[in-house]
Amino acid sequence: MKETLRLQYDALVIGGGIAGLQSALDLADQDFKVAVIEKDATIGGKMIRLSKVFPTLDCASCITTPKMAAAAHHDNIDLFTYCEVNSLDRSQGRLKASITQKPRYVDPDKCIGCRQCEYQCPVYVPDQEQGGFNLRKAVYIPFSNAIPQLALIDVEHCALCGKCAKVCPTEAIDYFQQPEDFVIEAKTAVLATGFKLTPMDQKKEYGQGQIPNVISSLQMERLLAPHGPYQRVIRPSDGKEPDSIAYVQCAGSRDLSLGISYCSRVCCMYAIKQAMLLSGALPLADITIYYMDIRAFGKGYEQFFQNAKAMGIEFVKAKVGRIEQGENHNVLLRIEEQEGDGRVVRREHDLVVLSLGMVPDWNPAGICPVGTGDDAFIKCVRPKLAPTLTEMEGVFVAGVAAGPKDIVDTIAEAGAAAMEASNYLNSSASGRAA
Amino acid sequence: MASQKDTTGKGKILIMATENCAYPGANSVGQAHSTYPANTYIIRVRAPVLFPEQFYLDCFKKGISGIIIMSCGEECPYEGAYHALAKRIDRVYQLMKENGLDIRRLRLTSICTVCNRAFLKEVNDMNELISELGPPVLDKAA
Amino acid sequence: MSTNQEKKATGEQKKVGIYICHCGGNISDHVDVEKLAENVKDLDGVAVVHTNTFMCSDPGQELIQNDIRDGKVNRVVVASCAPSLHELTFRGAIKRAGMNPYLYEHANIREQVSWVHHGDQATEKATGLVAGAVAKALRLQPLEPIRVEARRHATVIGAGVAGLRAACDLACRGLEVALIEKSPFIGGRTASLGRLVPTGEQAEEVITQIAAKAMANDKVTIYSCTEVVGFEGFVGNFRLTLKRKPPEEPYSAAEPQKIRMDHLEKGEFLPAAGIFPGDVPDKEQEIFLETGAIVMATGFRSYVPGEGEYGYLHSDKVITLAELVELIARYPDRRGRFLQVKGKPVRRMAFIHCVGSRQIPGIHEPDQDGRLNEYCSRTCCAATLQAAVQIRSSFPETQIFDFYRDIRTYGRGQEEVYREASRQRVTFFRFEPEDPPRVQKSSGGKFPLLVSVKDTLTFGEQIDVPVDLVVLATGMEPTPIKELVEMMKLPVGADGFLQEVHPKLRPVEVANTGILLAGTCQAPMDVGEACNAAQAAAAKTTAMLARGYVELDPFVARVDPERCKGTGLCREACPIEGAIELKERQVDGKTVVQAQITPALCTGCGICVAVCPSRALDINGWTLEQYEAMVDAIVAA
Repeated sequence: MKETLRLQYDALVIGGGIAGLQSALDLADQDFKVAVIEKDATIGGKMIRLSKVFPTLDCASCITTPKMAAAAHHDNIDLFTYCEVNSLDRSQGRLKASITQKPRYVDPDKCIGCRQCEYQCPVYVPDQEQGGFNLRKAVYIPFSNAIPQLALIDVEHCALCGKCAKVCPTEAIDYFQQPEDFVIEAKTAVLATGFKLTPMDQKKEYGQGQIPNVISSLQMERLLAPHGPYQRVIRPSDGKEPDSIAYVQCAGSRDLSLGISYCSRVCCMYAIKQAMLLSGALPLADITIYYMDIRAFGKGYEQFFQNAKAMGIEFVKAKVGRIEQGENHNVLLRIEEQEGDGRVVRREHDLVVLSLGMVPDWNPAGICPVGTGDDAFIKCVRPKLAPTLTEMEGVFVAGVAAGPKDIVDTIAEAGAAAMEASNYLNSSASGRAA
Repeated sequence: MASQKDTTGKGKILIMATENCAYPGANSVGQAHSTYPANTYIIRVRAPVLFPEQFYLDCFKKGISGIIIMSCGEECPYEGAYHALAKRIDRVYQLMKENGLDIRRLRLTSICTVCNRAFLKEVNDMNELISELGPPVLDKAA
Repeated sequence: MSTNQEKKATGEQKKVGIYICHCGGNISDHVDVEKLAENVKDLDGVAVVHTNTFMCSDPGQELIQNDIRDGKVNRVVVASCAPSLHELTFRGAIKRAGMNPYLYEHANIREQVSWVHHGDQATEKATGLVAGAVAKALRLQPLEPIRVEARRHATVIGAGVAGLRAACDLACRGLEVALIEKSPFIGGRTASLGRLVPTGEQAEEVITQIAAKAMANDKVTIYSCTEVVGFEGFVGNFRLTLKRKPPEEPYSAAEPQKIRMDHLEKGEFLPAAGIFPGDVPDKEQEIFLETGAIVMATGFRSYVPGEGEYGYLHSDKVITLAELVELIARYPDRRGRFLQVKGKPVRRMAFIHCVGSRQIPGIHEPDQDGRLNEYCSRTCCAATLQAAVQIRSSFPETQIFDFYRDIRTYGRGQEEVYREASRQRVTFFRFEPEDPPRVQKSSGGKFPLLVSVKDTLTFGEQIDVPVDLVVLATGMEPTPIKELVEMMKLPVGADGFLQEVHPKLRPVEVANTGILLAGTCQAPMDVGEACNAAQAAAAKTTAMLARGYVELDPFVARVDPERCKGTGLCREACPIEGAIELKERQVDGKTVVQAQITPALCTGCGICVAVCPSRALDINGWTLEQYEAMVDAIVAA
């Protein structure tokens, strides 16, 4: 039995999305040693999976990749991808994280990312990175700009045919790889565990993910992405170019029937952004956004919203009561108009996008003594003066882990968490932190 | 807008765009996917005040049909540079006249980082002008 | 820090590598990338040409690095998106491969080609731009960043919550901090807020806490009653002139309260004014400060409605939300049947949202400066509803009517405040910007004011609501800091707020190195958001100054001693005092006078380059010869 590996750092960042990367960079630039733990096989989080970002319409990849690359190449940052945090405890003034490296079944030291294995693999699996619209192989690199560029085997689908092992030029394939536990010790930690979308199967009235041409907003991100599944926007059921596309706002936000009372803050803006991109991709398509309130509150957002209105995108203040399968693969919406004559009307669209909200992607219960709010996001103990403080000493929170927020606000908060963490590092020797 | 084939003139237009204002301004036009004549070559400069008078004449001699200096104007981050530039361009105009060059081939403008419309107007105007004037001919060896 | 010592590239054979990015279709859908590669592969000095789906990705960068390590290339041209996105990415990649990062030139074939031109023309233009970049690359010289000693001292301008937050954090990390505030009090606008959304904390307590912390820190020097009147220098070594002068006595920021400063104690809180930092100057004095970085925290002011805007100033029963909050804060008796305002019970009151925010050209009137506030002020919805809930629960018989466009209770816990307002039977009316509510004095009747609106929640019905009081939820405007903007050459956005370099890449920095943004000088924010921004700015400042030196771009003027004849024309032309000096040198036993540059002062504008009759001056990385070669290449392409 070999001894558990113990690694020492100044700071530990849990989550390698944009929040975690920004915190890590801001700490590392102050000459602290930082470890970033990411549960996925690549860093970059949700942001790297987006098409373009509001309100500048920069391509998401162009903004995320420099930060990913900067973190990956920083002398003071080590990245640990495809890892789970089992526990995070404090004892004798230090944090101890017990971590499991999940097996890739590919030796990371040998893999050169050449993708020969991927080309040879005979098994096709729906690629969730492309909204499930494309197929990938059972051995694969997550996507073209993933970091690190290491292959992994999806054991659930692998047929163990051995083709990948045969073709690998560096003999990196290891079907017998085991999970490995190791320990990271640090003086401070930043939780940047992000979010997932409200699951589509929760709401019966919206078809529970069973209506083919009702897709999630992240799926639309992929359809719009320059390196998306079809390289153009078509609806999934029959490949038709949609003439009429509808957005259902607050799908999984501000909805007490789902127990989600809060606003997810980004859905208005991403719907408007997608609508603008769609009117570029499909100039003749009608785009309708069914909304309760348009919440375009950030810098430059209101102007962005007004531009979208001027472009002819239709905004209808209405609640969507029910979504049903219509004829010819179309989708029927039953809406309660809140303006006009207020009747319940039915409207038909070729494609419907659910503007899904955010729920936390990580629950600290049983892992570390950090409390959560009624909304299940990590609780901030001083939301005004020090918004990144948690209930656990020396542990800070950044980004959507502490409640929904957009990328701009997330990046600012990540900087703030880094500041708190560096203050803590600075004063932990000489007494209580600020 | 008419198709580009019709609007793009034969000669080449050189655009000296400041890295603080006009160059990002040109990028902003790109982000808006607004199209403009393709005979435009944008060169990134820190401040166009760097170029001596002779540089402009040499460009015309080499066959460049039109030059647009897209500066930051009064927003110029370099102290005094814009006014020095304006004075220099006056002297260039003088030299152009002496060489029989239509001084409209050289434009000094200021373009901000979001001045999409102004950018498009400048390049379209210059393109029209050089289509009308044809290639530059210098009277005497400059 | 890389210790790679560059081999002198001159004399060596120059081998340019060209790397063309598809940008996942962004470029390759319009530029024929393979044809472009073909067009440029035989240009002078080109050693290799590669294409890649994403040049900025790790595999793309490795492609370049491998060619460098294999000795195939010693000059790099990447043709991809705008250099603002990835020039630094590629310079970094090149540096990691052991090559000088300045032997790099960028060709912008996305924003300036594929996104604006199509078909053959796009490929043709891309060819010209890449050829130009190659011509420049062949003439590049290795450069080293300029290292400038930096003072471990930061200056924060504005002692509101963001400024105080930044000052505390910077001091905590060991920097000396000067905190400059123009009023005699610290605490800024937060001092005049009531209960904060959604926690219900008293703003007074919050601001007193952070102010106390700043005052207790001996690394923080607070300069109240002080303005910045002089600015010069550069990152690491700014020099500020401050003017500190006695306030008008008695100080009267909080009308109608008159405050006599000599009765105040250090740390005392005065409603709407702030916290007294301990002293006021008794005579005018000038202070000189040397500082490494400057954090702008100049904050906001409330929009002041125009005369007659929703009846403002035409009736004293029309007030702003800020005025209401102050009234409630000073309310003698916190409970009752009716809220009392100016001695009268308020039976029915109206809130109107988006006053001075979300203005639309053609609908709203610009102010005297021709400005419209097109942005959302972000905080007013929640603040309004918080006030409504507070009134409804303390004064149950005061009825509330709320006129809004969109309710933007986006923040954590804010939606609950909205829900509570509905539960407390606040009545909502929704209006379109082109049909705003009209506030009129009512003729006769029981109520002095009448608010009429076309309510879109009830099918556009025209509704008249008689009320005792109208409260305008006014938005935020940046504090007017014209003098600072001009003096420091700060970038300002179309919305009038200070403009960051990029909202995601560099959200708390402005283009001027060493100047950072904290809080509402950048955009509307609430207290928590302003603190986040301030801490982010403090983190960046610390990273910049902690080492005691700053590295700057090497793009400054240089003198060729072989050519310099000592005319002094360059010094005459140079706008920066001390950047160029004439110095005596010994050449072959003779004394000659030649120009000499102080790199840390030189801004690299190039004004000297143009005036030198013997072409002895050039800007590192942007030489005249390089430009001439680019023009030749573009003409030839």
